[in-house]
Amino acid sequence: MLVNVPGPWSPLLGRLALSEIPYKNLILAPLFVVIVLVAIALIAGITYYGKWRYLWKEWFTTVDHKKLGIMYIILGLVMLFRGFIDGLMIRTQQALAVGPGNNGMKAMGAIHGYLTPFHFGQIYSAHGLIMILLAATPLLVGIMNIIVPLQIGARDMAYPYLNALGFWITAAAVFLIMISLFVGDFSHNGWFGYAPIFEMAYSPGVGVDYWIWTLELIALGTTLGSINFLATVVKMRAPGMTWGRLPVFTWSAVTANIIALTSFPCLQVALALVAADRYLGTHFFTAGFGGNLMLYTNLFWLWGHPEVYFVIIPAFGMLSEIIPAFSEKPIFGYTAMVLATFAIGGVSWIVWLHHFFTMGMGPYVSTEFSIATMLVGIPTGVKVFNWAATMYRGRLSFSAAMTWAIGALFLLLIGGLSGMMLSIPAINYMVHNSVFVVAHFHMMLLCIVYAVFGAVIFWFPKIYGFKLNEAWAKIMFWLFSGGTFLVFFPMFMLGFMGETRRLDWPFNPQWAPWFDVQEVGIFVYVLSVLAFVWMLYVSIRDRSQNRVHSADAWGTSRSLEWLTDTPVPFYNFAMVPHINARDEVAWRREHGFLESNPDHFKAIHMPNNTPMALYIGATTFVLGFALTWRIWWLSIAALVLSVLLMIFRSNRGDPGYVISAREMEELDRESKAHMQEKPALPLPQGGFAGGTATAYSPLPHNNSPSGGTPPSSGQAL
Amino acid sequence: MSHGHSNPIHHPEVQMASRRNYLTGFVIASLLMFAATWLVSAQALAPFGLLLAIMGCAGFAVIAQVYFLLHIDISEHNIWNTVALVMFIPLFVITIGLTWWMFSQLYLRTMPMIPGMPGMH
Amino acid sequence: MHSEETVDPSQVILWSDDYEGHDPISTRTFGFWMYVLSDGMLFATLFAAYGVLSYSHSYYTGPTPAQFVAPWYTFIQTMALFLSVLAYGFAMTALKNGNKAGVINAIIAAMVLGGVFIGLDIHDVLRMIRIGATPETSGGLSAFYALTQVHAAHIFVGLLWMLVMLYQILRQGFSEDVVGRLLSLRMFWQFQAVMWVFIYVFVYLWGYMS
Ligand code: HEM
Ligand SMILES: [Cu+2]
Repeated sequence: MLVNVPGPWSPLLGRLALSEIPYKNLILAPLFVVIVLVAIALIAGITYYGKWRYLWKEWFTTVDHKKLGIMYIILGLVMLFRGFIDGLMIRTQQALAVGPGNNGMKAMGAIHGYLTPFHFGQIYSAHGLIMILLAATPLLVGIMNIIVPLQIGARDMAYPYLNALGFWITAAAVFLIMISLFVGDFSHNGWFGYAPIFEMAYSPGVGVDYWIWTLELIALGTTLGSINFLATVVKMRAPGMTWGRLPVFTWSAVTANIIALTSFPCLQVALALVAADRYLGTHFFTAGFGGNLMLYTNLFWLWGHPEVYFVIIPAFGMLSEIIPAFSEKPIFGYTAMVLATFAIGGVSWIVWLHHFFTMGMGPYVSTEFSIATMLVGIPTGVKVFNWAATMYRGRLSFSAAMTWAIGALFLLLIGGLSGMMLSIPAINYMVHNSVFVVAHFHMMLLCIVYAVFGAVIFWFPKIYGFKLNEAWAKIMFWLFSGGTFLVFFPMFMLGFMGETRRLDWPFNPQWAPWFDVQEVGIFVYVLSVLAFVWMLYVSIRDRSQNRVHSADAWGTSRSLEWLTDTPVPFYNFAMVPHINARDEVAWRREHGFLESNPDHFKAIHMPNNTPMALYIGATTFVLGFALTWRIWWLSIAALVLSVLLMIFRSNRGDPGYVISAREMEELDRESKAHMQEKPALPLPQGGFAGGTATAYSPLPHNNSPSGGTPPSSGQAL
Repeated sequence: MSHGHSNPIHHPEVQMASRRNYLTGFVIASLLMFAATWLVSAQALAPFGLLLAIMGCAGFAVIAQVYFLLHIDISEHNIWNTVALVMFIPLFVITIGLTWWMFSQLYLRTMPMIPGMPGMH
Repeated sequence: MHSEETVDPSQVILWSDDYEGHDPISTRTFGFWMYVLSDGMLFATLFAAYGVLSYSHSYYTGPTPAQFVAPWYTFIQTMALFLSVLAYGFAMTALKNGNKAGVINAIIAAMVLGGVFIGLDIHDVLRMIRIGATPETSGGLSAFYALTQVHAAHIFVGLLWMLVMLYQILRQGFSEDVVGRLLSLRMFWQFQAVMWVFIYVFVYLWGYMS
């Protein structure tokens, strides 16, 4: 049954050997040293400040949707940075290697540029996988995690523990792909993989295996998350929160998670079958023996296209929250907006073949998929016009969040129109697999990134109690847009000039000027990254000036998350609100109810923290690693252990704890007092105690809002 | 969450269990599967008719199971399950149907098919 | 547009006084049902793969289902599974009356019958291997095995889960968690029978026919 691997294998260590560690590589070895040093510094720092207990109690074992959301976002930002470095390396390679002749750096063993083709292949494969699945997806899931329960008036997600499990499995995927940098190598087949190159005969290394198990873990984590979101919205809405009053962002979260729930199983199957081919010697995707190469491409894009809508629809939702708030108008065409979101979600299921029009299945099939693809343009157009109409005659304020949102609209326009071009088979045959396609989907994915930055700036004060620095956020915006323009617009030209994607050696000297433009662009991006870091620093430093003293940070916000205290206390709402209108906060503001607080309280029930999700996440990481290296005993041990942990947790259950009405009243009073306290606390300049910065840090004691610690007096059930 | 304090046995989803329904579902599905097996092993019909017949058996058996066993109906407690199922069914059909269509068209153009050979198209 | 309506502040309800929170049991079963459906998607994808890989050329030079499928044997397997699902249904009717012994006995019966199903499956796989119909033979056989054995793996997980539930019933009685899990397991188990109908008819019987 088991496929024989080329090269050494031992029962104890599988394919793992010291020689698999690329300590001679001139890029990886120094990077490894840097990462180890940073890790040591971090660990030392945490130990020095005695923060381990705090991290463990407040973050690693948390089941609070806000904290998990924050961790998702941090994970996403870190991976966005890693993916960005990959992008920088890709751009630099092409800029150096372009043109005829043998211009490579000998020291690196490269004939062209500074990277060997194999290394270059790993970089673009990791780049694509990371950016879509480990940067964009966690960022979006993180924001949904924080905002969706708040927008529907729930205390938490439907399954807080499952939420933590989804996060830790995603984190396991991140660790797996990061470790592939230093132990063995990563796949060089592109982020989506090509059959039959990923078969054992052509890719005998462990790279493809890393790729398989990373993707499987992400798929698992995301599916669990999507179930949670859907159950939350269906079952946990506050009284009065009818479907017709659901905020548009929540609607988009519903659509996106329906897409995720229905499509991720396809990915799991596609990759499991690749794994079967590589591990068990089956013939699903082999050339010959009755296998079918294109079946893989089909199954992958069966998930792949819905997936791209899974990532863009929450971004649409974010735009739908930011634009009304800064136009001081309700969203134009709420019903049309919701229906359009669902239409996009529905159509996204019947277009996947446009990723392989060139397969050659003839005109009938191509026509169907071409027309279906074009249909997406209709609801998308509806949305764009609705956003425009929301702004029309609104009282616009171009805050940083709004600036990012408007930028996103421009990218959506360009990306969407280039997508329309690609959806015409006759054009597609010309530019398929060229960098024109790369330009198209980067416009789309950057639209998401813009929306995410807008959303982070928009919702940041809700979570931390102070605003991010507007000026630096805008500087970052302009730098980032400059980078976007310089890097990706040349790709449209280069695509028409015949540059295929993923070239480690772009041989045509006529492309060279555009590569230089792109190289300049990527350094403008570098500046924007610096601006981002500086923005964070300045904002945290000046947080006492930028404190928010009311529930509604912007004064013009509309939906329910702006009703509860700032920063959001761990119980979300002291009393579950009763919803009277779509845009509840705007309604209360207009009728003068914004200041009315509940006058009595009820006991509430909250879940306990648990390390079990972290443990199970860790076993899935070990499982992925052991399978990659074919260490069978370890794979079985990790699998058995994870099942045992699940059974153990299931047997124990979680009784949760209760906060009595009296305690609730006390907590609410404290939280409100904190929020309204006008004179800024004497805060240390720069740096922050407490490990997390809120407007009030350093916190006087653990029970304060957003501390998330169950109050010690909360009795167990 | 005061529901937690009432006896979970009285929950409507527990109370909807029904011996009669389960037996009915079982009997219908078993009979249909028996019929399909018999039709196929006795080659009782011409291939195309046979195919239609066993597809019919499968379809009705599944409907019986979904209705009698899984309680998929529009009562207050099951409506969301039904909504979810209704959302999924078209996707099942799309996944299998469009894939099958695209590859049958592809094979038409790329595979030398010898007439009369066993195959699923 | 809201400001045009007149609102009487004394009539407005701002906080939900008598909101009892969500219903934990149906929240759990609804989420689990969504998982079950996504599991259905997993089977649908496998069926799509099987559809592409069950042409005559997919079997390469190896045997085709017409040569190795034994309809009546698999029919017995079908009955074992259906009976197991029925037994689990009786566990549910016993649960309705709070009859602990009834629930336990019915679950044990369901486990035995599920075990029979798996036993027959393993026996069948061994027979196929003996006649040279292994998953490595051809793409068609790979797809055949994928569908049938993924289903068998689900049955195995179900049996394991029943074992855990027996333990939990004995330990905790019919607590809210246990009842919720029993209901979820019901959906899981019945759904495996639904999937089996498709597998039996479209993979075994149709394969045997063509
Ligand atoms: C108006 C809507 C859209 C249309 C008509 C459209 C059309 C297309 C077409 C036809 C292709 C295939 C090009 C080729 O490989 O020859 C493509 C590729 C792609 N699109 Fe879109 N698209 C749209 C929206 C989106 C969105 C919203 C996203 C993501 C958020 C996206 C992401 C991608 C990606 C990632 C690829 C290429 C994947 C790869 O080959 O690596 N597209 N698009
Ligand atoms: Cu697409």
